[in-house]
This record gives sequence, structure tokens and C-alpha cells, in this order.
Amino acid sequence: MDMPIVRFPALMKFYVDNQIEFPCMGVTVAELLDNLVARYPALQPHLFEPGGNMRRHFNIFVNGEHIRELNGLDTPLKNDDKVILMVSAAGG
Amino acid sequence: MAPELSHEEILRYSRHLLIPEVGLEGQRKLKSSSALVIGTGGLGSPVALYLAAAGVGHIGLVDFDVVDKSNLQRQVIHGKSTIGKLKVESARNKLLDLNSDIQIDIYDEPFTSENAIRIAENYDVLIDGTDNFPTRYLTNDVCVFLGKPNVYGSIFRFDGQLSVFDARLGPCYRCLFPEPPPRGLVPSCAEGGVLGVLPGTIGTLQATEALKILLGIGDTMVGRLLLYNALDMSFDFVKLKKNPKCRVCGPHADIKELIDYEEFCGVPGHDHNDEGSAGKDRDITATELAERCRSGKLVLLDVREPHELQISALPNTLNIPLGQLAGRLTELDSAEDMVVFCKAGTRSTRALELLISAGFKKVKNLKGGINAWAREVDQELPIY
Ligand SMILES: [Zn+2]
Repeated sequence: MDMPIVRFPALMKFYVDNQIEFPCMGVTVAELLDNLVARYPALQPHLFEPGGNMRRHFNIFVNGEHIRELNGLDTPLKNDDKVILMVSAAGG
Repeated sequence: MAPELSHEEILRYSRHLLIPEVGLEGQRKLKSSSALVIGTGGLGSPVALYLAAAGVGHIGLVDFDVVDKSNLQRQVIHGKSTIGKLKVESARNKLLDLNSDIQIDIYDEPFTSENAIRIAENYDVLIDGTDNFPTRYLTNDVCVFLGKPNVYGSIFRFDGQLSVFDARLGPCYRCLFPEPPPRGLVPSCAEGGVLGVLPGTIGTLQATEALKILLGIGDTMVGRLLLYNALDMSFDFVKLKKNPKCRVCGPHADIKELIDYEEFCGVPGHDHNDEGSAGKDRDITATELAERCRSGKLVLLDVREPHELQISALPNTLNIPLGQLAGRLTELDSAEDMVVFCKAGTRSTRALELLISAGFKKVKNLKGGINAWAREVDQELPIY
């Protein structure tokens, strides 16, 4: 079973049992997000707009590359790939 | 031609002059260079201190805020003696004490679409140390239009971000964040807190990048983003490319001049604590609430996080953190009068919007939150 590692920003870890980093199943980025939301429903409004599109202050990187430069949400994932979820923060 | 260094300056900067990458020539370059620090808070403090110490000849500081006691946990350029004073004046005094050979210009005004170009055009590099989204988008667009590098840093709780946005060489801030987050999804440091040393870490990295840019040495963070987490001490570097759809630096850019950034972001251009108002007819003041509590049944809904209740709390309240409210509406009775409160009124305002959209009609917002209650009604309670 393919188990990429997903990393959450401090801003969102309260929705995932206070974890920063943990393995999550998914053979594509989209599938991984579906699995995350199924496990942690409170994530849904943070990741997606009401219409279902991914929120635009929100970025996903796979092994250091933005998924925009890869295959978007269809980017394939394999074991131990590092998926970083990232949101904008304004604090200074 | 870069200016000469005096004997005093040669002694002051001797540790720089010993580094081949800096040397006499680099130090003279720094003396003739300029940097604009936007915000003299958590990030701006170390940025300004280190740029002044390094001998950047001309430093500009923009901030309209005054020093507050709750700043001192991280804003190390200020001190007890400058509480209540303008931050830019407090900062200038500290910087000139550190290095009086440099020129410090202060701008005691909000950084806005009206003044930003006029202020920024005098500087070689801008350093984004603000605490709010409108000013971040403004700083980005100013840098894109003027063709200047934007040394970006941001912080929240244990997380920091660092990059250099320079649309001439790589992506800009909008390439990464085309739109600000919807209001309420991303709390600010005034709402969510920040580890005091975190702006020190990110701010010194911003100062490092600014010095490298001014000296023209090394590889800067253009095209890269650092994601720092202090809790597990991890530094993740990710690659950033220009977004072909970027509205300000892309090939089909449609934003050609500065816009109304508060309107674009839907939030004010500052991160102040005591502004939590839901509008005149939806607010109740602490004094009015104290009166109202004596005259009949009322539900007090506290939408803060549980750990905040250990700092200060009101008796006979119901605690449902804002993040859980949408899923727990069944615990509330829309027939009862209800007053919603949080620390200072920001989260409760959002809770009120949520309740009203769910059909609640008899709800009000405690203006200024439990901190206002502590000021107006119960001075035994601490303000945080
Ligand atoms: Zn751009």
C-alpha cells in the first residue's frame, strides 16, 4: 500500500489531532486529500471552497515541487513521498 | 562611486572587512545602500537591528502603531521605557544608539496605496514584516511595479515562512497566493499567538537575505520558499516558479496599478486587538452586558479555545470553540437570548455571522471580548 507522508502547518494541525506529520494513503494528491477529509471532516472547509475547488490561499508541494508544476491534483504519489500542505499566514 | 569609510567605520565593521565576500568594497556598498522595513514589530525588530548593525547606510521604517506591553514578548527593538510611544520613534532611538553613522527615516503612517510608491521608490530593497494580508499584497505589488526585491517573512505560532519575491527574476507573492484566505479561516498572531523567538529566527533570515541582495553575493531565496517549524525543528525548502496566471506579474497581468487592498482582502490593514465589533446594532458593550445579566436569562457563548479559559473566564458560560461551532449548532437554542464572546471580539464576530446565517436572531456580540469586560466591569480579570 502506498503511504506518502503528509505535513501540516501549525495553522491546521488542530484539525488533525495536533499532528504535524503523519502517513496517509493515496495514489494521487486528490485521493490523499479525500482520505484526509474522510478521516478529519473538519478539514473540508479549510481545503475546499463551497463549490469543491481547492482554496486559492492554499498550496501543495510534493517532494519540494508545487503540484502546479507537476500534474495538479492528479499528481501520482508513491511510498514515502513527502506531501507538504501550506497556507498563507500574515503574522509578523 | 561608493562612499569611503572613516577610520571609526573601519574599526566598527572590521569583522565584515575580514570576510572576502564582503571586504572593504562590500562594506562601502552597504553604506551607499538602502532598505525599507515595513512594520517594526516581531519581524521588523531583528531585521532593523541587524541591518543597522551591519552598516546599511539608509534605513526606512514604516509603522503607525504605538508600543504595547504585549509586544515586548517578541518585539525586541522596543522596551519598557517606550511603551505608549510611536514604534517608529522607539525603533529609531534604539537603532541610532546602535549605529549613529547611518540615516534612519521614519514614516509614522499606515503603508497604503496612496503613499506606498512615494515611500518605496527611495529604497533598494523592501522587507515585508507586516502583520496583515492587505499590506502584504500591497508590498508585493509595489515591488513588482517598481522592480524591487521583496524579502518576505511571515509567522504564526511555531511556523515561519521565508522567501525573496522578485518578479524580474522569479515569482512574486501573488504567484504563490493569488487570493487572500477567506475572512476567518486564518487567524492572526493577535488571535492565535506566536512563539516569541519565532520572529527572531525568521527576521534574522530576512536580514541575511537583504544583506546578500545589497552586497550581490550568494544565492538568494528567489524561486525558493522556506517552511520552518520550530516544534520539530524542521526546515523544508520548496521550489517556486512564476505562475503564468499571475494577475500582477504574469504575461496576461490585468492589475497594472495599486488597488484597494483592504477591500481585496476583506480585512483591515492592521492586526489590532480591540476592534472586535459586529456593527452597532449587533454589538453589546461589556457595561451593557453586565446590566443585562442582572435582568433575566441569557446564554453566554464563549467561542475561545479551551486553554484560553485558564487565563480568564466568565461564570455560567457555554464553551464551543469557533472551529467547532458549525458542527455543534444543535447544542444551542435559537429561542434564547444569546451573547457571543471571545478574547477581543474578532472570533465572536465570525461566530455571530455563522449563527445568523443558521437562523439565529436573538444573538449579540460582546464588543471587545472578555478583555473589554476586564477593563470595564471586572478589573480582577487579567487582560491578554
Ligand atoms: Zn506573480
